Amino acid sequence: MSGLLRTEWLKVKKYPAFWWMIGILAISYPGMNYLLYVNGYKDQLNSKTMGPVLRMLPNPFTFPDVWQTVAFISSIFVFLPSVVVIMFITNEYAYKTHRQNIIDGWSRKNFMMAKMVDLLIVCLFATILYAITAFIIGSVNTTAPGRNVWEGNQFIALFFLQIFSQLSIALLIALLVRKAFLALGMFLFYYFPGEPLLVALGKKYANDAGEFLPLEVSDRLIPFPRWFTRKEEEWKALVEQSDIHILYTFILLAVTWAICFWMNKKRDL
Amino acid sequence: MEGSEGKIMSQVLSLSNISKSFGKVRALKAVSFDVPEGSVFGILGPNGSGKTTLLSIVLDVLKANNGNFLWFGQPGSPAQRKKIGSLLEGPNFYHYLSAIDNLKVTQSISGRGSKEDIDNVLKKVKLYERRKSRFKTYSLGMKQRLAIAAALLGDPRVLVLDEPTNGLDPVGIAEIRELIIELRKSGHTIIIASHLLDEVERVCTHVAILKTGELLTTGEVNEVLQDEDVVELSAADLQALAEVLRKFSNNVTVNSSAGTVQFSLPKGTARLEDINTFCFNNGVVLKHLLLKKKRLETRFFELTND
Repeated sequence: MSGLLRTEWLKVKKYPAFWWMIGILAISYPGMNYLLYVNGYKDQLNSKTMGPVLRMLPNPFTFPDVWQTVAFISSIFVFLPSVVVIMFITNEYAYKTHRQNIIDGWSRKNFMMAKMVDLLIVCLFATILYAITAFIIGSVNTTAPGRNVWEGNQFIALFFLQIFSQLSIALLIALLVRKAFLALGMFLFYYFPGEPLLVALGKKYANDAGEFLPLEVSDRLIPFPRWFTRKEEEWKALVEQSDIHILYTFILLAVTWAICFWMNKKRDL
Repeated sequence: MEGSEGKIMSQVLSLSNISKSFGKVRALKAVSFDVPEGSVFGILGPNGSGKTTLLSIVLDVLKANNGNFLWFGQPGSPAQRKKIGSLLEGPNFYHYLSAIDNLKVTQSISGRGSKEDIDNVLKKVKLYERRKSRFKTYSLGMKQRLAIAAALLGDPRVLVLDEPTNGLDPVGIAEIRELIIELRKSGHTIIIASHLLDEVERVCTHVAILKTGELLTTGEVNEVLQDEDVVELSAADLQALAEVLRKFSNNVTVNSSAGTVQFSLPKGTARLEDINTFCFNNGVVLKHLLLKKKRLETRFFELTND
């Protein structure tokens, strides 16, 4: 495993596009959370209609709710790390280095394992960014003394699981189509508006069958914060679904990676 | 197998009934041959004959539909590929990395060579001065040189080179030829696919000729070239010489401009002493007598032209 990690590090450590994307990611996560806090929440507090309702609820940017709030906001922007993940795969096809890696002595399994390691590192990086952002926002806003800051931190694990699952779908698409722009276009289109549209149609016409769609399966790990909706029933139903979706996500992950490994093993390079 | 010098030669690579189709196109049709250790084995064939497909299969880039192959007597595996220096279908490198960084990736995957070896192979292929430049800034010839450097990294005993002189200038081609000869002398086994017949004839000890996926012939270069004995003679009176030789063979041709007469006999039957005696006894004194080796190019066209 360390050999795979070392090789992947050699591939990316001098790749400017990779570091640009990591930089953008590092700025975006805290940035977009701050933006939603200021424009999405604080401004709403002053609204004549929403303000009184929001003041009745706990501040979602304080502990313990901040873990969920920031996880939810950060999860909306999964398309940013998806660019890095798609790049990991399509670069290899563009330069034909996926062939060279095999010729030089990797097994096809090694190649996929290396990509899984890449993906895990990107997910870990995004999760750390999320956790730091949530911790800082929570610390700044929480004024109540003696508050346990780690309460609700299960969302760190759920965020990691969600992003790993969704980026695995991006990787599968990249592996299938092999072309960077096409893969990115397909993933982004499916991410928005493709799947949200199908989920909405499912809710309306098919007894919410959309909950089993590839991104929605893990989307429901982190229900949207309470202040996002006035519909109490809908919110409660989503929170109740969260636990079973951990199992669904693991199943989806197993299927996604099984397809990736199988496809890479069987097909001509 | 008994080698030409009497030593026992083991097989580095054995192919058995390898077949491969791309849709309806049959790229390889039950190809079988062995590559002996220490040989420079040329795989020849016109464009589309299946040379690269064959090498891709033995390097696990393509999957054969039928048949199997053995490296060093064992089924192909990543561990075996690590011991083989390969250049397949042009240089495949990370465009944003330098020569050194690309070779570090090769080294990390294959486990072949050290940091010093990277410098050494870059010097060997004359890329050392540009070692820190990004791959995308290289000319086609420089890219090819880097691919050869990657194959040479760690001095593997077996090399697979697919069209190694592609994109090289005449000086580069000559350098690669010398390199291959040098490697052959030091006991390396080299499998080389090429359509440059002159190059192959100069460096190869063995050859396999493919056409539209079919193996036409294989063996030692001399065996493949000499499908018959071609005798070339010269005398003061060419017409008289030709007349005498017609008693010996029906297949006599006079080349007046070259001042020679040629005829062919079944392979292995030409005895130059007997021919000389025969001519002398029939009143013709020879001034030139040679058992001629056929050029690979000639033999190649004979085999590949319908």
